[in-house]
Amino acid sequence: MTTLALVLGVALAIAAVLLVALPFLREPVTRDDRLDASTAEEDARLQLVEERDRALAALKELEFDHRTGKIGDEDYRELIGPLRRAAAHALRALDDSGEAPAGTARSMSEPLTPTPVPEPTPPPDEGTPPTPAPVPEPSPPPDEGTPPVPDPVTEPSPQE
Amino acid sequence: MAELGRAALVVSFGLALYALVVGAYAARQNRRRLAVSARNALFACFGSTLVAAAVLASALARHDFSFVYVWQHTNRTLPVGYALSAFWGGQEGSLLLWLLVLTGYGTLSVLLNRRLLRELIAWVVPVFGGIAVFFSFVLVFVASPFDVQSAPVNGLGLTPSLQNPYMVAHPPMLYLGYVGLSVPFAFAAGALLSGRTDERWIVATRRWTLAAWMFLGVGQLLGAHWAYVEVGWGGYYAWDPVENAALMPWLAATAFLHSVMIQERKGMLRVWNMVLVALAFELSVFGTFLTRSGVVNSIHSFAKSPIGGWFLAFVVISSLFSVALILWRLPLLKARTKLESALSREATFLYNNLLLVALCLTILWGVLFPIVTQLVQGETRTIGRPYYDFFLRIFGLPLLLLMGIAPLIAWRKASARSLVRTLAWPIATALVAGIVLIAIGAGSSTPGLIAYTFSAFVLGTIALELVRGTRATGSLFVLVARNRRRYGGYIVHAAIVLLAIGIAGSSAYQTTREVHLKPGQSARVAGYTLTYRSIDPIVNDPNRTGEYAVLGVSGHWHGTLRSGDVTYTGFDETDRDVGIKTDWLRGEDLYVIADFSKGSNAVFFDVLVKPLVNFIWIAGFVFLFGSLVALWPDAREQRRLVTRFAPARA
Repeated sequence: MTTLALVLGVALAIAAVLLVALPFLREPVTRDDRLDASTAEEDARLQLVEERDRALAALKELEFDHRTGKIGDEDYRELIGPLRRAAAHALRALDDSGEAPAGTARSMSEPLTPTPVPEPTPPPDEGTPPTPAPVPEPSPPPDEGTPPVPDPVTEPSPQE
Repeated sequence: MAELGRAALVVSFGLALYALVVGAYAARQNRRRLAVSARNALFACFGSTLVAAAVLASALARHDFSFVYVWQHTNRTLPVGYALSAFWGGQEGSLLLWLLVLTGYGTLSVLLNRRLLRELIAWVVPVFGGIAVFFSFVLVFVASPFDVQSAPVNGLGLTPSLQNPYMVAHPPMLYLGYVGLSVPFAFAAGALLSGRTDERWIVATRRWTLAAWMFLGVGQLLGAHWAYVEVGWGGYYAWDPVENAALMPWLAATAFLHSVMIQERKGMLRVWNMVLVALAFELSVFGTFLTRSGVVNSIHSFAKSPIGGWFLAFVVISSLFSVALILWRLPLLKARTKLESALSREATFLYNNLLLVALCLTILWGVLFPIVTQLVQGETRTIGRPYYDFFLRIFGLPLLLLMGIAPLIAWRKASARSLVRTLAWPIATALVAGIVLIAIGAGSSTPGLIAYTFSAFVLGTIALELVRGTRATGSLFVLVARNRRRYGGYIVHAAIVLLAIGIAGSSAYQTTREVHLKPGQSARVAGYTLTYRSIDPIVNDPNRTGEYAVLGVSGHWHGTLRSGDVTYTGFDETDRDVGIKTDWLRGEDLYVIADFSKGSNAVFFDVLVKPLVNFIWIAGFVFLFGSLVALWPDAREQRRLVTRFAPARA
């Protein structure tokens, strides 16, 4: 029994060493051994994407809260404007970062050309609504609703 | 095969050390192949720990008493199920379970996030490695489950109180919860170490945290039910230090699950969330320390051992590491927005957090007080039930109220007028409930009356939310499916209300009487007539000896109840078996404890009638259901997150 246990123990150790050494056995020599770190532009872009999702989710939450009666019409009118401006701001900044050359991604804190902000949509119980404002469809809060239109993305290639 | 188990643990220790040291070096030096190698070491560590666990489980199943651990915790008369549950019945096995679950969680969470969070994962691996180094070190050098001896004919047996079906499930559930809190901790620490403090670590660990919290909650309720049916004192929670040890991380994790929503929506409370994650993890290790060290008196005294010092050192070192890390990265954790109004959803979450953490720290002080007095005054002074009950009311009742208010307040800002309008129906429900309760005599207990009135308020809120949401979306199913986390959360709130109803009913409105009966005599308690009929000895059971008093019951219910003293083979102490009759229609338990110790042929019976106590156990099922709803994966959300994070290639 002891011999069998020792043999199994040694086999286990060898298997562990092989698994640990696997990356070097697969790629004994490599031209690029750096971790696939994100660049400053990508980090800035990610921050903008988070801001965009947050702003659009806030819009959607506000709409839902209004429809379920948690927010009165007056509060809704007061809140919708700044939220739409924030959403438009985030979308525009993201667009700009996509078009701009690498390294020029704009931060949310930087001033942007003011975006024309539409009038808030009146609440559902206020008669005939005007033509809907040209505001992008809000993205859902983290757990709900239709996802925002994704930016063109290339799937990262596995390097291991 | 003990040699194989020992060898597997040595391999685990080496691999964990490699994952820690080499992983940290690779992440620091930005070395890809080395980082993958360290990651593979973590995976292999799980594999070798699994081998060690299989060796121990096999020895337990075979009653191989050449293993000291098997000899100490089982005997030949022990049924196989209990023999296997001895895996976590003793200290060394429990630690092995900790390591197994830790490396399993680590492997799975790293594997699932390795592409999406590559840069962050490079730091997560050494954090997992560091925790695994501690546990594997203790298992290899301090408390090995693979010590051997010349095999005796029979073992010492499993502690009698552990020979209960609830004890088969309760400890593993708690361990899944305790150890599960390592996942958010490792990812949070990885985020701080890598400087990637955006929301990726939160998104990656959201469900892990929820799962750990669920296991911890279910584990505690299983433990409470075990205490109710097995310990024989008529209650289910005694504010025992080891019970508190499981409650504290659960409270911290509850606070985190709420505050993290504010970070996701508003970019606020980033430092606070890091603190809560670290607190929950440290409290989970501290809980294991309390259970294992025997530093405080507890009904879990079977778990005493000399490894407490090692645990204390680990808690201190990992706490210092967490604090230093948060302080170092404070500039990265600045809030991006401010609280817009004290009357908003995020503000109520903040109040909820303060109350939860205050309750958690109050309990921690109660647990630490005997240790502090021993150190300062040289004598141990304990804090009793009144202290905990007082603070449970002070913090718990406002928490219950907030649970009703928060879902009805809008994010960002709510006006007092709209709030009053929104809350009108739940307030009316609460008032009607209060008046009805006073009319039927429930006003005898003010805390009970407040708890029930608040409970009605919360249930009114949940019902209103579901009705309005269904009207807005057109379907209850669509409403829940589109936001499982929110509506799963409401189901959990309903479970907490049931829990509050059960606790208030069974404590504030309980009837207790001690009666002394000779055979043939009767006593009347709260509508039940109990007649002591006879003694019924245990026969033909190789594992147990003892006797039961048989009581005939009439009144609200007709039948017989048995309660008695049992002695398990190999143990001197007597275990008290209680008689419980649940009346689901009346919503109460008749609970009888027979005491033979006071001599003669008469028996003393403690008779308790506990209204609504079963709401506590029903709450467990509702809690589990709500947690699973919140946990259930949402394919659309996953696609959206992949789209969001893929461009960062981190």
